[in-house]
Amino acid sequence: MSSYFEYKEESHVTRKNTLASSKALGLLLSSGLGTWQFGIKFVLVHVFSMASEVLKKRKPKVLRSEAGTPEMKRNRGEGDQDLRTYNEEAVLDNRRPEQDYEQYKDKCDVIAKLMGEIQELKASGAKEGSVELEERRRECCIHFVTLKKLNRLAHMRLKKARDQTQDAKQRVDVLHLQLQNLLYEVMHLQKEISKCLEFKSQHEEIDLVPTEEFFSDAPSDISRPHLTKDDPHQLTLARLDWELEQRKRLAEQYKTSLASKEKILKGIEVKKEYLGSLRPGLQSIMQASVPLQEYLSMPFEHVQKQADVARHLPPPLYVLLVQASAYGQACDKSLSVFISGDVDEAKALSKPPEDSQDDESDSDAEEEQNTKRRRPTVGGQLDDKRKEMLKCHPLSLCVDLKCKDGNVLQLFFFYLMNLNILTVKARVSTGIHQSSVVSAGELLNSDTLLNCLYTSDNGKETPNPANRYQFDKVGIVSFSDYVGDQGHPYLWVQSLGGLQFPSDNNPESVLTGSKLSASHMEHTMKLLRSRVQARLALHKQFMSLEKNIVPVSAECQHLFPAKVISRLTRWSAITYQEFEEMPLAQHVLKAGLAQETDLFFMAQVERGTACLQTVVVLNPRYPDVTPLFSLCLLWKGERTGRTDDNLRAMESEVNVFRTELLGPRPGHQLLTNQLQRLCVCLDVYLETESQVCDGVEGPREFPREKMCLRTARGPNRLKPFKYNHPQGFFSHR
Amino acid sequence: MGPIELLHMSVFSQRFSPCGRFLAAGNNYGEIALFSLTAALSPEATNLSQKPVLTFTAHEGPVYSLLSTDSQLLSAGNGEISCWNWSDLIKRNPKAIWTRRPNYKTSLEIPEINAMALSPKDNSLIVGGGDNNIYIMDLESGVFKSVLEGHSDYIHCLTVREREGEILSGGEDGAVRIWDSRTAQPVHCIEVYKYQECARPQLGRWISCLTTDSDWLLCGGGPSLSLWHLRSMSPTSVFPISGCQRQAMFYQDMILSTGEGPYLYHSLLGGKVKAQIPCTSPSLNTLALNVHPSEPRVLTLGGSSDHIDVFTNLSYRAFSLCF
Repeated sequence: MSSYFEYKEESHVTRKNTLASSKALGLLLSSGLGTWQFGIKFVLVHVFSMASEVLKKRKPKVLRSEAGTPEMKRNRGEGDQDLRTYNEEAVLDNRRPEQDYEQYKDKCDVIAKLMGEIQELKASGAKEGSVELEERRRECCIHFVTLKKLNRLAHMRLKKARDQTQDAKQRVDVLHLQLQNLLYEVMHLQKEISKCLEFKSQHEEIDLVPTEEFFSDAPSDISRPHLTKDDPHQLTLARLDWELEQRKRLAEQYKTSLASKEKILKGIEVKKEYLGSLRPGLQSIMQASVPLQEYLSMPFEHVQKQADVARHLPPPLYVLLVQASAYGQACDKSLSVFISGDVDEAKALSKPPEDSQDDESDSDAEEEQNTKRRRPTVGGQLDDKRKEMLKCHPLSLCVDLKCKDGNVLQLFFFYLMNLNILTVKARVSTGIHQSSVVSAGELLNSDTLLNCLYTSDNGKETPNPANRYQFDKVGIVSFSDYVGDQGHPYLWVQSLGGLQFPSDNNPESVLTGSKLSASHMEHTMKLLRSRVQARLALHKQFMSLEKNIVPVSAECQHLFPAKVISRLTRWSAITYQEFEEMPLAQHVLKAGLAQETDLFFMAQVERGTACLQTVVVLNPRYPDVTPLFSLCLLWKGERTGRTDDNLRAMESEVNVFRTELLGPRPGHQLLTNQLQRLCVCLDVYLETESQVCDGVEGPREFPREKMCLRTARGPNRLKPFKYNHPQGFFSHR
Repeated sequence: MGPIELLHMSVFSQRFSPCGRFLAAGNNYGEIALFSLTAALSPEATNLSQKPVLTFTAHEGPVYSLLSTDSQLLSAGNGEISCWNWSDLIKRNPKAIWTRRPNYKTSLEIPEINAMALSPKDNSLIVGGGDNNIYIMDLESGVFKSVLEGHSDYIHCLTVREREGEILSGGEDGAVRIWDSRTAQPVHCIEVYKYQECARPQLGRWISCLTTDSDWLLCGGGPSLSLWHLRSMSPTSVFPISGCQRQAMFYQDMILSTGEGPYLYHSLLGGKVKAQIPCTSPSLNTLALNVHPSEPRVLTLGGSSDHIDVFTNLSYRAFSLCF
């Protein structure tokens, strides 16, 4: 039953329901339902009450359908009903809803009562169409009509209420719109106000004169104190006026100052011109004084010139110049120092960098061009960098060391600016024809001439440890590849220039600068001189050695017997590589007595069928270091100092007993004396050997001519190699 | 001592101290160097411990011979014998107790002393050298009590047969002479170079090494190293070693010998060379074996270099001491 009266929001459904409920009612009324019991009666009552409620609720809908939908009206049919609705509308204003509600309730009760009576009647067996029944039915119908009217009224009332609501709503909307407009206007105005408040004037940036100063300085027509005292705006305006006034005045002042400056500059220019015109006159006076200076042997100008140039020398070369010329003046008149090189270039170098900036930009541009051109070859760039790194200072020092015999040792000192080291190139100018002596080629070679002036100072590697890292950058493996062009960076050169580099060997020396230079100068100069003399002496000796003559001077004659039969047959220079490969050099190499810096020679001494080959290691420090001989005898097989104790004894005769063979100081004849002793020892060896081996038949090849006390001695049966001078016999050591 | 001197140095003699912890070695410059074996053999030995603890100049000429008594070191130089206390040397205080020289007849050249031997029975020192004679000195009094004359050239080596009271000497003349030490008279003379088995005329006839063990005599030099039976006076085995041997010794059932050539030879008594062990020096002059009971057994070899090879095992060189 609840489903039966289910109401949906959709109007047609409700309409259907209403119709259905009215139909049901009709059905109920017509069928009579005589047999229904009390319970059912109650239900019916309930149905009607529900239906009335529904109707009440549905009233507006029905009303609207009557008013808004003409077809409903037409369904009902009659045209005169329109007139009545107008009436009803008028009625509506007079009636109250509560009243209608009461009426509706009453009518419902009445209908229910009538229905009940009908039912009772039917139950009591009253016939269809009986008077009572008809009576009642008629009454019922009338009441229904009233109900219907009530329903219409309700609907109309609803419509009216709705229209009223609509009107009210429209009014509210209009008002709301008005409110919105007003709010927007307020906001806009607020924005404008804040904009105005935030405005910044330009004058705020100007640093104005303080107020007190303004009042005291400014004239009253500008300051107008009566106006400005109280009004800050006016005050600011006045101050700005004052500022403008002042600035105008200062601009005027600036103009006048410029004019006066111009004037002064012109004055200076004029004075300069005057001074410049003095110069040629002075120079001509100087020129005129030169002959006088020369005549009086007072080389003021030369000294002055040198001093002038010396100002542009780099510090190490300057130290060297000062110390060398000082030493030359004090101790060694044959030493002279002068500067060579391009002075202008040096001047350009020592100038402040403003000038060089231009150069740099130029060179940058050039470099760019270069790099564009050479981009593909990275090696070329590296090459340039290397050249730059190994660049010499444009000025160099030349030290001439004159020897007594007219030979001159010329030393050229260079300063490598980027590496901060000094290098030296040496040259000996001499009267001797060098080409004629083949084996002497290395003796005066400027590359090796100054090798090992001090022990193990071979000038191959740079003494500055920092250079190692610079070289790594540009890919230089070793400085020794460049000594040919750059000169040798000997340690003593650095010392002479006052350069001191920390090294593993000498942590104790703390001297630097000119003190260091001075401490080395005398000894180094003496060493240089003795080196050249030793080399020249060797050079002379080699000339005769190549002619197979061992020159023995009169002072050394007593060291050897008058008759020496063994002869030198060959004297030649060999290279280190050749020396290294010789079997008879191996023990010398192993003992570390031969370096690459040494000079190596090969000599051959012969007597009869015996041939004594020897290699000689000549240390650059000769004659301070004894030349080292290593022997090999080719006679009845090959014997060397390693296999034969007597040959070893001969080696020690020439190598060890240096003091006997040194000759007159400083021992320039050491090498020739050694060679001569070798010849003597070979004589002794051969003569005594045949003596010992008298098991061999036939005549002796080497008759015994030397006087020997004994032919063998000691467990290793050494031969008597020692010559006793006045008596002329040979004995053992 | 410069590098060139070191290059031309030869070691001629060596002797262990009575305590067995030190080795004295003499070279051609007349120097004696004292090496500490304990330092050199210790596990933490460095290069420095292979250097001598003391070097001093003992004589003018080469030190050809060294000898050690219970407490003293005897060194022979150019014609003179010096005596040093081991205790002083170990304290690095080289001071000769005495220096004596035999009465040489020649005056032109001082004869060298090539060999010395001790005769403990009569506490005498037997000295042989350059003037072909053997001098016997009484160690107690320092008097040269007798001279054995007979060799025609200088004496290379000496040895004493203690039980028999005999002195054996080998010389440049190629003879091994046997002397009676009590009567100072020659007993026998073996001219080794005359025996075909061992003669090597192309080299020479001198005898430069000599040693005895009971009835056996070992000698060599110009002739091949050979083992002789003394009672029959005949060579029993000849060792096929090409170089002239300068020192040989019996060791257990072997013979150790060195000489020309950089080798130490191990030979069996039967005449077979068992091993040839390379050494550092191109030729070897001296070999010594430390037989002190409480010290490690080491063999040292010196020759024509400044190195003394040390063998802790007889079959290979362990390291070298150097001057």
